[in-house]
Amino acid sequence: MKTITPYLLKFAVAATFLTIVFRYFLSYGIDNKSSIIIALCAILYGTAMFVCGWYFGRKDGEYLPIYDVGFRFHACTYLVHNLISVLWFTFNFNSSYEQLQIIYITALIWGVLLIIHLLFYLLARKNSINNLYKKDLFD
Amino acid sequence: MGNEVKLTELLSSWEDTYKKGQLTLWIFLSLQEGKKYVDEIKDFVETKSNGTITCEEQSLYRALRKYEMIDVLQYELRKGNKGPDRKYYYMTDLGLELFKKFVDRNINLFYTEEIKKLLKP
Repeated sequence: MKTITPYLLKFAVAATFLTIVFRYFLSYGIDNKSSIIIALCAILYGTAMFVCGWYFGRKDGEYLPIYDVGFRFHACTYLVHNLISVLWFTFNFNSSYEQLQIIYITALIWGVLLIIHLLFYLLARKNSINNLYKKDLFD
Repeated sequence: MGNEVKLTELLSSWEDTYKKGQLTLWIFLSLQEGKKYVDEIKDFVETKSNGTITCEEQSLYRALRKYEMIDVLQYELRKGNKGPDRKYYYMTDLGLELFKKFVDRNINLFYTEEIKKLLKP
């Protein structure tokens, strides 16, 4: 069953780029003890990710209306963000004041939210056939 | 508003509503003839419907992707004149069964004598 669509892949690429830029400026801001840089990069990252998700999500729906209540894009964001964050530490790009533990705690809390989202997705699947919303199949 | 203008507007409004959902039927009808690629399906729909049903390529591709995903259509790749291989769509057994049942329940009733008489102007 097709769930990895071209627009999901494009979103993953954009999210990867944005997360790398975010981690760079975050570590830079922490190293320089600049709360302005830290706050600004977090706000810009959040906004850019939202805009990307909105844009590619809309395009994805036009390509194939998969009825997943946004779960695929959420799971993709979770994987990309946490994977890059862990790799950031693995390659020692992090600030000396950052702790890997924070990444794991974030992933854990976010993971619980992702599981809740998964439950909504599984519930929504009752209204779908092969992941497509029943009422949109022949529109 | 003159009666002629009003009639045209009413007809247009009714047809707009009526045509929604018609694309599926026309796509399936075109594939009853045999395997076709997108341009051939588009030509069939527009020609055989006397131009009353028009389909943009994007809408057609989107519909075909959906039907492929729900296993009512499949495609095979064949060489085109130039460029990449063409996708020739055809109906699966499930698609054929679905089409048959839909026609039985919704189209064939227009061929009963009683309804045929009513449809005569």
